[in-house]
Amino acid sequence: MKRPSVAPINTVAKRLVGRSDLLISRKSVRESLVSLAGLIGRPVMDPDGREIGKLVDVVVRHGEETYPPVSGLIVKIANHKSFINGARISQLTPSSITLSSTKINLEPFSRRAGESLLDADVLDHQIVDVDGLRVVRTSDLYLAPFNKEVRVVGVDISFVSFLRRLFPGSLSRRPTPDHVIDWASVASLTDSTGVVRTSGTRAALSQLRPADLADLIEDLAGREQGAFVEMLDPELAADALEEMEDDELEGLLRGLSPETSADILSLMEPDESAEVLRDLEDSHRESILSAMESSTAKELRKLVSFDEELAGGIMTTHILVVKATDTVADALQLLVMNMERENSDGVVVVDGKGKLLDHIQILELIAADPKSVLTELIAKPYPTAVTAETPLAEVVEEFSNNRGSSIIVIDEKNKPIGRILADDLVDALSQNRGLFSQGGGTRS
Amino acid sequence: MSQLKIPSGRKLRLAAFLAVMGPGVIAGLSDDDPAGITTYSQLGAQYGYRMLWTLVVSIIALIIFQDLGARIGVVTRQGLIGLVRQKYGARAGSFSAVALILANLGTMTAEFAGVAAAGQLFGVSRYVTVPITGFFISALVLRGTFKKAERVFFILSAVFISYVIAGFMAHPHWGSAFHGMVVPSMPFNRDAINIATATLGTTLAPWGLAFIQSYAVDKRLTKADLTLLRADVWVGSALTGIIGFFVIITCAATLNHEHITNITDASQAANALQPLAGALAKDIFAVGIIGAALLAASILPLSTAYSVSDLTGSPAALDDKFRDAPLFYMTFAAITIVAGGLIMIPGISLITILISSQVLNAILLLPLLAYMYGIARDKKLMGEYVAGKRSLLLYGLIIAVIAICVLAQFWFIFNL
Repeated sequence: MKRPSVAPINTVAKRLVGRSDLLISRKSVRESLVSLAGLIGRPVMDPDGREIGKLVDVVVRHGEETYPPVSGLIVKIANHKSFINGARISQLTPSSITLSSTKINLEPFSRRAGESLLDADVLDHQIVDVDGLRVVRTSDLYLAPFNKEVRVVGVDISFVSFLRRLFPGSLSRRPTPDHVIDWASVASLTDSTGVVRTSGTRAALSQLRPADLADLIEDLAGREQGAFVEMLDPELAADALEEMEDDELEGLLRGLSPETSADILSLMEPDESAEVLRDLEDSHRESILSAMESSTAKELRKLVSFDEELAGGIMTTHILVVKATDTVADALQLLVMNMERENSDGVVVVDGKGKLLDHIQILELIAADPKSVLTELIAKPYPTAVTAETPLAEVVEEFSNNRGSSIIVIDEKNKPIGRILADDLVDALSQNRGLFSQGGGTRS
Repeated sequence: MSQLKIPSGRKLRLAAFLAVMGPGVIAGLSDDDPAGITTYSQLGAQYGYRMLWTLVVSIIALIIFQDLGARIGVVTRQGLIGLVRQKYGARAGSFSAVALILANLGTMTAEFAGVAAAGQLFGVSRYVTVPITGFFISALVLRGTFKKAERVFFILSAVFISYVIAGFMAHPHWGSAFHGMVVPSMPFNRDAINIATATLGTTLAPWGLAFIQSYAVDKRLTKADLTLLRADVWVGSALTGIIGFFVIITCAATLNHEHITNITDASQAANALQPLAGALAKDIFAVGIIGAALLAASILPLSTAYSVSDLTGSPAALDDKFRDAPLFYMTFAAITIVAGGLIMIPGISLITILISSQVLNAILLLPLLAYMYGIARDKKLMGEYVAGKRSLLLYGLIIAVIAICVLAQFWFIFNL
């Protein structure tokens, strides 16, 4: 599997520490860091210093804030796990927590939406390092008081800090801030209640190349994978998913809700979506298609029904069709509206009955007078056209005969229904060969 | 490894399965490595048919836990060690990694011992065979030409199927064999406990458990592939059982029959093949041992290195550069060098190493199996695949059997 080259972890940390907008770079915060891994199992005390119980877990609330505040503590008191409100914390040291009042309401803990448990859900779990472009495990989490509340401010993914936790006593609790990564630059993916979203992460993820993002997705384990994809912007997710291996994508879709799958697949190039859908089990495919907008679903259903060995199976149905009586300006406007799509390099011109006349390249349109009618531009060479039932081998032949960059697919009435680009053909061919020559990595 | 790549839906189910000969079969056949063959030979030579039931128990344990490992890998998509760290914390994760490393180191030493023993059959010193094997394996694996070589090793180790024929030709006492399989009995002494523990340890090897799980993760197998993967595990385990069974009855019918009850070197074990191969017995035995040793020795360091990097959280692979995955390559090198080095200690008894490494396996299995038990019952991790009461009882029972063997082992060590 391809991996992005990764900067060593301490450089990543240093780079982040140098950024002044991050909390970790503030001296006061750095000096008050408390290691979560060290704190678990330590005493929770009342204001007089008497031990009430031992800390089992720390509950955080995540939402709009970049640094999630501690909403409560789970404390083991006389063999019972009780929940203590986070507002009661008066002092936090690396080896103990002191509460502000002797009177405490002991309530049994029940998970609320938008909360997660730092030890049970985050520590030692997989986490995405957005800057280092990889999936790692959290070695430690750091808490610090900030803005009137105790918050999660940093995460540590270094192996050194992991080893530190193996030591007995206070050695295991000593913070190693050199390796701390600011919480704002990670995306943690946890548990049943939902994903830890940090406001900074979404923005950071959108800076990634789709191929890198695809690698990250592939590196995550099942539930984390689904959670990660769901937190991505659907447009971005669609771009990344287009870069993924077919099998991998199939597995991923099984872990996503039909609604999310439908959202993402609608945004992918139709030929790519159809290819994935074709491989799914019938019931699964149907559940996704029925969650889509009906026009998109209809189009995809048609594509899915084509055999992969035929032109219809590899074409994209996303074509920009204009009438011969439209003006050059109309055509250009349509292109601009669709500039996000890979297929927007020209328009397909049809006559009044919808029959194929020509494919006009964007360059020709730009060179022409915007007010002129497209009929004037129709000229040789006319585009090569095939029907949806044309076998791949013939499509290849047509391509090599006319040396164009695309072929138009038409129906029996000569109406354009799709287009095959050279790269679609390359994909299709390499995939067919791959059936016989695919070799997996020898990672065992 | 052959790719477990299943065309979805309609096409080629059977073809896919045949092309697979996947991880279960590899892990199964690698169980019949030098240590396995030696342990089974010793069991047959020393106790005849009487303790065949220990093999039956071991195979049942193998099927059940390999099946569980495959399921955990597919459902959680994480390696065993990483999962232990996630569920039980840093110390438990490191502890399980250390247990696995020690077990694998022992088994790797046994693979080298097998090569050394086979070499000695032809009068080639272990000071020649072991270093050459070490370099050869490392070069193969690190250069990535391992896939083709793997098939060759696979075929070489399949030589052990000759035990099946030899078994028939040695005219074993089938009645006694059947009795030995279904009626558990054994003398209560140190040797018997030792060989019973070694049989459990060599059959249900720790590395096999880690291997099957990381394979499922690495090849990104999904729940839809699970049926096929499980079939593969069952076939592999059954194959191990069949070969093990014939090794034991062949040795029972030949060596035990001739009162050779303590195998002290490989040529004695090779003698069991004489009814089939006559003068060629030694050669066939040597070829099989070398093939099986190389097959296992090329997977072991890799599997160990994978598990160690799994502990750190970012499983590494062969296509990573040294700079990106130093721990991965360092583990690989350490396992190979230390295991090879141990065999080079002058005067060390190869047969002792072969069998005691498998006793070590059994001891180190205990924590690993206990962690697997914990993971299997974790609803949050396993979801709909969480183990039911009856499965858990079965897992517990197997763990208890191994624990009893290990405890008895310790009891004899400290009382004699």
